[in-house]
Amino acid sequence: MSQAKNSSALSYEGCKNFRMRIVLSTLSGKVVKIRKFRGRNDDPGVDESEASFLRLMDKLTNGTRIEVNETGTSVTYVPGLLAGGQLEHHCSKKRGVGYYLEPVLMLAPFCKKPLHLTLHGVTNSEVDPSVDQLKHSCLPVLRCYLLLADEQLQLKIVRRGMAPGGGGQVLFSCPVQRTLRATQWLDAGKVKRIRGVAHAARVSPAMAGRMVDAAKAVLLRLLPDVYIYTDHYKGDAAGKSPGFGISLVAETTTGCTLTSDVTSRPQGSDGPPSVPEALGTEAAERLLDEIYRGGCVDSLAQSTMLLYMCLGQKDISKVKLGQLTPYTIEFLRHVRDAFLTTFRIENVLPTEEEEDLKLGGEKLTLTCLGAGFSNLSKTVS
Amino acid sequence: MGGEDFPDDKKRHTKRAAGRKADKKKQKEPHKQELTAKQRNPKAFAFRSAVSAARTLRRSQDIKERKTHIPVIDRTPLEPPPIVIGVVGPPKVGKSTLVQCLIKNFTRKTLTNIQGPVTIVSAKKRRLTFIECNNDINCMIDLAKVVDLVLLLVDASFGFEMETFEFLNICQVHGFPRVMGVLTHLDMFKDTKKMRKTKKTLKNRFWTDVYPGAKLFYLSGMVHGDYQRMEVHNLGRFISVMKFRPLTWKQAHPYILADRMEDLTGAEAVRQNPKCDRTISLYGYVRGVPLRQDTPIHIPGAGDFRVSSVDFLPDPCPLPDRATKSRRSLTERDKSMYAPMSGVGGIVYDKDAVYIELGGSHSHRGKPTDTAAAEPPRDGEHQEGAEEEEEEDEDQQLVSSLMTSQHTIDQKMEEAQLQVFSGQQPISSQDAAMKLHYETVAGEDGRSRRRVLFDDTGEVGEDSEGDGDGDGDEDEEEDGDEEAENSEGEVEEDSDDEAMEDSEEEDADMSLNNPAAKPASNGLSNGSPGGSGEEDEDSSEDEEGDAALTATAVAPRQNARQLHKLIYGTDPGSAGAASDAAAEQEEQEPEVGGLFRVVRAEQRDRSGRDETDRSLPEPDGRHLSRWQTDEGRACIADCFVTGEWKESENASALLALDEDGMDEDDELDGDFEDMETGEKHEAAPPEPADSDAEEQMPVKKEDEQMTRKQLLEKKKKLKAMFDAEYDDKEGSSFYDDLKRDLDQQAQLNRSEFDGLEDELRVQFEGYRPGMYVRLEVASVPCELVTNFDPTIPLIVGGLTTGEENIGYVQARVKRHRWYKRTLKTRDPLIVSLGWRRFQTLPLYSVQDHNGRNRLLKYTPDHLHCTAHFWGPITPQGTGLLALQSVSDVSASFRVAATGTVLDLDKSVQVVKKLKLVGTPNKVMKKTAFIQGMFTSVLEAAKFEGALCRTVSGVRGQIKKALTAKPAGLVRCTFEDHIKLSDIVFVRTWYPMEVARLYAPVTSLLLPPADKARWQGMKTVGQLKRERDIRVQPDPDQLYTPVERRPRQSRPLQVPASLQRQLPYADRAKLGVGNVLAGPGQQHERVAVVLQPREQKVMKMMKTLRATYDVQQQKRRGLAQDRAKKMVDKRKADIERFEKRQKRVRKHVYKMLALNSGKKSGGGGGGGGGGGGGG
Repeated sequence: MSQAKNSSALSYEGCKNFRMRIVLSTLSGKVVKIRKFRGRNDDPGVDESEASFLRLMDKLTNGTRIEVNETGTSVTYVPGLLAGGQLEHHCSKKRGVGYYLEPVLMLAPFCKKPLHLTLHGVTNSEVDPSVDQLKHSCLPVLRCYLLLADEQLQLKIVRRGMAPGGGGQVLFSCPVQRTLRATQWLDAGKVKRIRGVAHAARVSPAMAGRMVDAAKAVLLRLLPDVYIYTDHYKGDAAGKSPGFGISLVAETTTGCTLTSDVTSRPQGSDGPPSVPEALGTEAAERLLDEIYRGGCVDSLAQSTMLLYMCLGQKDISKVKLGQLTPYTIEFLRHVRDAFLTTFRIENVLPTEEEEDLKLGGEKLTLTCLGAGFSNLSKTVS
Repeated sequence: MGGEDFPDDKKRHTKRAAGRKADKKKQKEPHKQELTAKQRNPKAFAFRSAVSAARTLRRSQDIKERKTHIPVIDRTPLEPPPIVIGVVGPPKVGKSTLVQCLIKNFTRKTLTNIQGPVTIVSAKKRRLTFIECNNDINCMIDLAKVVDLVLLLVDASFGFEMETFEFLNICQVHGFPRVMGVLTHLDMFKDTKKMRKTKKTLKNRFWTDVYPGAKLFYLSGMVHGDYQRMEVHNLGRFISVMKFRPLTWKQAHPYILADRMEDLTGAEAVRQNPKCDRTISLYGYVRGVPLRQDTPIHIPGAGDFRVSSVDFLPDPCPLPDRATKSRRSLTERDKSMYAPMSGVGGIVYDKDAVYIELGGSHSHRGKPTDTAAAEPPRDGEHQEGAEEEEEEDEDQQLVSSLMTSQHTIDQKMEEAQLQVFSGQQPISSQDAAMKLHYETVAGEDGRSRRRVLFDDTGEVGEDSEGDGDGDGDEDEEEDGDEEAENSEGEVEEDSDDEAMEDSEEEDADMSLNNPAAKPASNGLSNGSPGGSGEEDEDSSEDEEGDAALTATAVAPRQNARQLHKLIYGTDPGSAGAASDAAAEQEEQEPEVGGLFRVVRAEQRDRSGRDETDRSLPEPDGRHLSRWQTDEGRACIADCFVTGEWKESENASALLALDEDGMDEDDELDGDFEDMETGEKHEAAPPEPADSDAEEQMPVKKEDEQMTRKQLLEKKKKLKAMFDAEYDDKEGSSFYDDLKRDLDQQAQLNRSEFDGLEDELRVQFEGYRPGMYVRLEVASVPCELVTNFDPTIPLIVGGLTTGEENIGYVQARVKRHRWYKRTLKTRDPLIVSLGWRRFQTLPLYSVQDHNGRNRLLKYTPDHLHCTAHFWGPITPQGTGLLALQSVSDVSASFRVAATGTVLDLDKSVQVVKKLKLVGTPNKVMKKTAFIQGMFTSVLEAAKFEGALCRTVSGVRGQIKKALTAKPAGLVRCTFEDHIKLSDIVFVRTWYPMEVARLYAPVTSLLLPPADKARWQGMKTVGQLKRERDIRVQPDPDQLYTPVERRPRQSRPLQVPASLQRQLPYADRAKLGVGNVLAGPGQQHERVAVVLQPREQKVMKMMKTLRATYDVQQQKRRGLAQDRAKKMVDKRKADIERFEKRQKRVRKHVYKMLALNSGKKSGGGGGGGGGGGGGG
């Protein structure tokens, strides 16, 4: 027994891909051991944001054992079962809420009780995907899998908190699901409209308008249906630091969404302050970049999508994606470690009809046979 | 199928519609009404009552709905594994005989000694595996989990036995496989009427347990020890056409019914330690769902293991070739059989060995002269007929050629040549050997390393020498990467782990021949050197080399194959990386003071393993400006609805098509004309491929035509879809949609990887069901090998994610109504759950209305309760079966409880009711001081604020723990004044802990004789009974008979004043009579004086009685005399009889003695006669 246990442990090195290792370990029930956690760094060991993440995992699960050695350079994670329920967590301000929300999005459908999570921290940061972006890129993926629980799934920004000070608040609730059905998502469709939100907190409301104008200037050349809301926060809802940003979503005829997001440089950081026009233009350009890559989900949601495909029943799932991001590539490797699932990757060859259409970059089809995962935490009666 | 292909082409009879004959007929037959009654008179059939109409509808809908099942995806592959048929029944019902008969029926071969599963080909697309289940409940449980069809044998002359019902219950819990009852021993009935009656009762009982209408087969009698041929044949046909509904557990788990086991442990290891853990290989067909490499498995009866390697082998019992389509039935040669445990199956190909069964020591001498009469067990394979002689010869030749071979295989291999491309020099093995030399170099750490040397190219040596100085010895293996490193300026050192070393040396030349090898799009792979080193030509040639284009920008083309290699080739972060720790340490760093090492900046983050964990790549603004340019926008123009559409989706094209469709005649004509033009140019197409410049026009036209046709089709499809969506048809219900979706999914499952090579396919899919695989399992307890018994099924059950873990399982259970005893909380129970059988200590509880799990001491009768136990995590909804013992074969029913898993967790919340009892020490008005409830102040302090109650129902609250004596005194207030004699309760809930016992039933590891006698933990009751321990109960708690003294009321005392006021009649009398009647006084005897007449009567009566008594006495005396006489007479008779006997005997012995004296020993006849006389 013990021998079988040992061999199933996953061992890794380094702090890279920390979150996905923890997430996959939790889902697969395999022990994960990470050594050399910033072993050679001036500031070795688990940092504040990772510690906060581990604490969040502890709240989210029941029976998890986390062992971090004295220097913090080795972490052993013995997963428990996902519990869910009403939770509140104060995230580290070093990373955005997106850093925590992303793994939670992967785990949420497999809890024992529906998850109602309140996260406090930085809603928009430069490094991590903003909450708006997650809402428009990952949530549709979730919604596609949680067929009947549309209204229970929500991600709401109660307060916005910009980078150094934080003070944002995000509400995420998600129903639970027993098993996932295999999906074939091969038609990305054409972009039919572009929506977005330009937000400004503790700065002049004009900033939002300036960003919108700049973004629209780029986008309107390709599509007339562009509408970007402006959202100005003040007082308590604006968090503790000033800042602004813009997040864009392109919706396609088949309901796929592609997103981009840009946030202003945080207050007090080195470098020149951000200019709203530049941000607006950059967001639009990044959206076009994302459209060029194409696929049924955007580059942010790739890993979530692939995870759900892998967790499906023992059936074939397929998805059309654009270029894989480095994160996705790492994710695929980790998925193989945890679930023994290998994806088949194929180039999408344009059909005769499509040959002379300009549909952006090369697309890939990823196919896998589900691992037959079922939510072991959910109570049945 | 075949029948449908050939339409009945006989001319059908047509009735005359006109003419003489028709008229005649018409006259003969009266006019018939064409319209039905309903059509003629619709009013008569209108609803008379809306209520009854509604009822009718409801009923019909009910019936329709009852027929529907939840649709499930059929995951059976194209070539399914053999169907497992378990033959189950109590001993001596004829299981083995039936298996033998069925095998004989299908293969025409006789197998006498059947051990383990026997696989045969029964039809063109069906194979069967027969396995017999012995009368061990462990085997029954295991088999019920894997069989597809059960032949449940019942001895009709005896009736149902407990085993039958036990097995049916096991089946019900673990997903019901198909069950077919078989009644045997029907020939024991002499009376046909009785037989018919028995059949009927048995059938009805069987139906209640399986389902009404379940097939019950009758095997009426035996012929020469076999069942009647036709009956077995019919049974076989039933089996061959049977359909199976997929079962949930089997559709989610891979499993193997092992038909062969080999011990792979080295002989030396076994010699040194006979008890060492073994490495075994198991063989069998994968069933259920695809089996992945490295999957955790459970072998029921042995425990959890991990598969160390899986290989697929050629099918030992293949289905007949599909090429020979025309034949409907199987040919003799196709009727193969595979039963390695029973010793059938000639040549067995293994991964690393070929086993050839030689039919005895003389078999290779020459052709056996009489093949038809060959002994079946000797060479079961070669028993075909005379027409298969050639084949047989082949086999023989193969063996004899091996025997007669002059050279060893090594020699032959050396001579062998391989031509890779046509027109190239064939490569011989020497060539290959020539190129690869190596020298042994002693590394710095004392490890000897083998360097590859090439004598023809010399590249490697130079290369390694050139670079060796800079990076130390670590670089030698990855010269392929070196170039890349130089060009990319990215240092990749971490890939040289020791595990990879050997393999890399071998393909070093491969990567060297490939000058373009360099890390594929390093922007994409932040440090994945292994994959880049192993690229081959085609992957590298389409690399665009635009290193400037990183992933964030318009990234370079990601070739799928290249990507696959990049992702799955090797990954630096995981397992392999473990060993580069050592390498890192070895590196010589500048030391400070001989103690500390200086950490170089690049050393810190070489592998990228400590990079920031971010899901989106760092934005790179350089390429974004591209989207401001026109050509940049142009390349995504058609990603928007405003851009160009596909022809089939283009609105204008479709509209144009619509217009065409309006005037169909024209369209037809046009088509025709087009065809003409097409035909005109048809002559051209054969040559045109190269000379298409001038031919472009016609080709285009043809294309147009084609697309138009396609468009028409598409339109039709769209129309159909529209219709389906908007026309309210009965076929388009939710149920039908779901069913269609699932069908499509099943189709996709089958077709997605079809046509792929098996080696590649197993990577994506795992080893799909139907494949014959060989599993290697390491560190298996030696008892599994030494105590191996082929008759006991050896099952390998695959576990899905999370199922290898252990946790608290919460299940809804119900004690079986046929089980005699109640189950006690925390008594050991053997549970069969999922693949596993294990012993555990459950706690039973029931849920209160507020959701609290209250502990129960015993399982309730006829009610479900919840059981909590420590056991393997198994998906919710899985069936569960509990037994108290697997070893005793009791006359009663053995299945103790059944249930399903509800919840899994890492903690449990079961509470036990605990009443704290105290008594008032002192009672104030509404306040009371309670003592005896707690033992200390500390304990009492915990309960401040708790609600309490007296027996009479006065409610109160604990206010304060007091330090005063006695210890644990508390002050309480009540809603009312309580009495000092009251008892005060506090009702509390005490959390219970579930004992963490999980002991797998290791019945397979026991010696063969004890396999059915696994003994786990015993119950307390059992132990007490065995050791005769009796509990000394607390005398306080014993029930003693209640002794109640009769109540003595005090004498009534009426006060004198009251007495005086009473009337005389009611006043107490204190006279003489009363005194006499008192308890102390005696009544005086009264003399009776009789009247003369009375005296006379009395006298008369006395005399009569006296005479009667005398008479009776006399009579009794006479009777006694008679009896005595009788006894005497009898005694005399017996004496006489004995005397005569003695005389006769004496005479006889005398005669015997005389006779024996006469003819010495020949007095048999006389003796016999004498005996008869006696």
